[in-house]
Amino acid sequence: MIRLECSSYAYDGGPVVLSGVDLAVEPGALVHVVGPSGSGKTTLARLLAGQTGAGSGAQFRGALTLGGDRLGFSGSPEDPRIDPAAWSSTVAYAAQRTEGQLSMMSATVAEEIAFGPANRGMPAGELRAAVQATAARLGLTDLLNRDPRRLSGGQLRRTIIAAAVVGNPRVLILDEPFQGLDAGSRAEVARTLEVLRAAGTALLICAPMLPGSAPQHSRVLALVSGRPVFDGTLAQAWTAGLERYAIGTEGSAPDVRRDPPQGCAAPVAASDVRQDSTGGPLTELAGVSFSYRREGTSGQAEVLRGVDLRVDPGDIVGLTGANGSGKSTLLQHLNGLLRASSGTVTVAGRLLGRRTATGRLAGAVGFLFQDTDQQLFERTVLREVAYGPTAAGAGREGAQERARTALAAVGLGHAAGEHPYELGFVERRLVAFASLIASEPSVWVLDEPTAGLDLRGRNRVGELLLGHAAAGGAVILATHDGAFADALCTRILELKDGRILSGGARRGADGA
Amino acid sequence: MPRRRVFNPLTELLAAALLVVLVLVVNTWQFSLAVLVVVVVPGVLLSGKPRQIALAIAVAAGPLLISSFLLHGLFFPEGTTVLAEWGPARVTAEGLQFAALTGLRLAVFTGVLLTAALTVSIPELVSTLTHRGWNRRLVFVVGSAVGLLPHVAERARQITRAQQARGLVVGGSLPSRVRGLLMVSVPLVTGLLIDAAERTQLLESRGFSSPGPRTSYLPDTDTAGQRTARWLMAAGVLGFGCAWYAVGAGR
Repeated sequence: MIRLECSSYAYDGGPVVLSGVDLAVEPGALVHVVGPSGSGKTTLARLLAGQTGAGSGAQFRGALTLGGDRLGFSGSPEDPRIDPAAWSSTVAYAAQRTEGQLSMMSATVAEEIAFGPANRGMPAGELRAAVQATAARLGLTDLLNRDPRRLSGGQLRRTIIAAAVVGNPRVLILDEPFQGLDAGSRAEVARTLEVLRAAGTALLICAPMLPGSAPQHSRVLALVSGRPVFDGTLAQAWTAGLERYAIGTEGSAPDVRRDPPQGCAAPVAASDVRQDSTGGPLTELAGVSFSYRREGTSGQAEVLRGVDLRVDPGDIVGLTGANGSGKSTLLQHLNGLLRASSGTVTVAGRLLGRRTATGRLAGAVGFLFQDTDQQLFERTVLREVAYGPTAAGAGREGAQERARTALAAVGLGHAAGEHPYELGFVERRLVAFASLIASEPSVWVLDEPTAGLDLRGRNRVGELLLGHAAAGGAVILATHDGAFADALCTRILELKDGRILSGGARRGADGA
Repeated sequence: MPRRRVFNPLTELLAAALLVVLVLVVNTWQFSLAVLVVVVVPGVLLSGKPRQIALAIAVAAGPLLISSFLLHGLFFPEGTTVLAEWGPARVTAEGLQFAALTGLRLAVFTGVLLTAALTVSIPELVSTLTHRGWNRRLVFVVGSAVGLLPHVAERARQITRAQQARGLVVGGSLPSRVRGLLMVSVPLVTGLLIDAAERTQLLESRGFSSPGPRTSYLPDTDTAGQRTARWLMAAGVLGFGCAWYAVGAGR
């Protein structure tokens, strides 16, 4: 039904990022395009979506066939132009980042879904019926009157998918639709996609890893450095040894070396570290409760209810729990981004007062946010990573030295001079990680550190965590990556309704 | 409680704009005061969010009102009736009168326009403009006010938090606050530009530039009666303005 033949594709004057691809998607098919960061997945998805980049100087040599029509491209200005509106009525596309996927003209989910057909002049009665039908099909009926900018990650993804498929396209292309979603939201989106597939829509899903559960006969195309390295069924892919290309399977345990990577201090047995000179915890929450005023009402919403948590040197504490269980809220108490309504927070032996500036705690507690891009703001990667040490008064030379060491530790020593926004998602995530490391805090607080990472990035983060704990630091991470937490955490705590459910038996630092 | 909506947003905005024109044309303190007391004050009180609107008016008009009173009240060259004098500064009755006139006018402008702008239903306005077949790009500029402004504010807040976590200390001295603002603007603007580039492609693929008529999900709340009323109001104000100037010129 749709076929992409790509002999080469390059962005404006850049190197070839995709070549040697011949991919046909038949009606009702399910195709997984997998590959590590920078392997050309997004380029492939955009080409299938009809975005050949002709207007922005990109050079595409190959052909696109839709239905019976074959369009040839030779990388010249005379190449055919694709009408995006006409193309998307058959081939819909949902891009990786959600921010740019809302029209920003709609006050409700219903209007957002209606945006495309309304632009094409669908009569009002039909339009309402189409929106209602799509919402019912994808389980969005209860959300129709909600503001699309105030949805959870999973709800937003489903709204974007609904807006893409309201015109009943025959193919839906999704670029990393599960990125940054928790288990519950993932399941929601997966159900949505299953409904579409059952109705005959062909799906092409790009992801950094092989799916852990999907129909075994679904097709897998694996890309590495812009070239296909595997084309077969999912069952074959699982056993094809794609790990050698840094393509893992979701839900598998990370492959981490127990010795710390270059740039971190020498390993110290965790049991020795706990008996350090002071014997005190690195950070401690005692009876912490937190509530905020519900918007538009005078009522209070209680997010944390009397949480006690003691974190010692060598600890890697995993926090698990459903969306809204209070994980992020708890983490944000550790560096003063949120202040407890009652109870006390102690960081590095200091009691956190109402007036302790968050910025002053950056040297003691490093925080990795879930959304990387909001953390990066400098012109070069080196300046970005040196920002923390500079703010702490390390001096220009000293700060840059620490930044270089941190970049080497995350494996990005070569990228020091680049602009952070020119890097791929995984590299940007690692830059944010390096900027945390460069401030040399003893406590690392990480919100979903492995979300969206490829196999190599996930393993690297795992090694950094082990190295930090072994050197006498501590890590607290909120995660939905159960296999990662199982392999690395010394304790796993489950949060439910703002309370810690399980005490989490202390385990060895090696996760045994 | 949001106020009960009686008229279509287009009618409300046009009425507000025409009222401003009338105040400019008539240009007497009695008329301005009457509009303020009879229209603006009840309008704000019945808006459903009087505190928010009053604050917006105070922020927008307050500094101008104060500076106008200081400037015209103390230094009004044409003033002859001197009430008090300190060196070069003279408080004159004419100066105070002039300051009162401009102040009243300013209060009416900001009051009328801000009340209309802060209470109008933007989705309904966008829907009306679409139903009336207005230029799509103009509608987008109006419509994106719904989404973009709150989105930008929320994003700026999150970036500030992320930067604080990285060691930025916000608050305290003015230079520190200005530096904080500059640090936020770089990722904010970069992010918005990336979004805008992606949104352009999204809008194109959703048929934003498609030729031909469009429809709207929201029903058309505009009525033939209101459309007629709008034309009549506009024609009435235009006619009144012309007559007012003609009579004024003849005197």
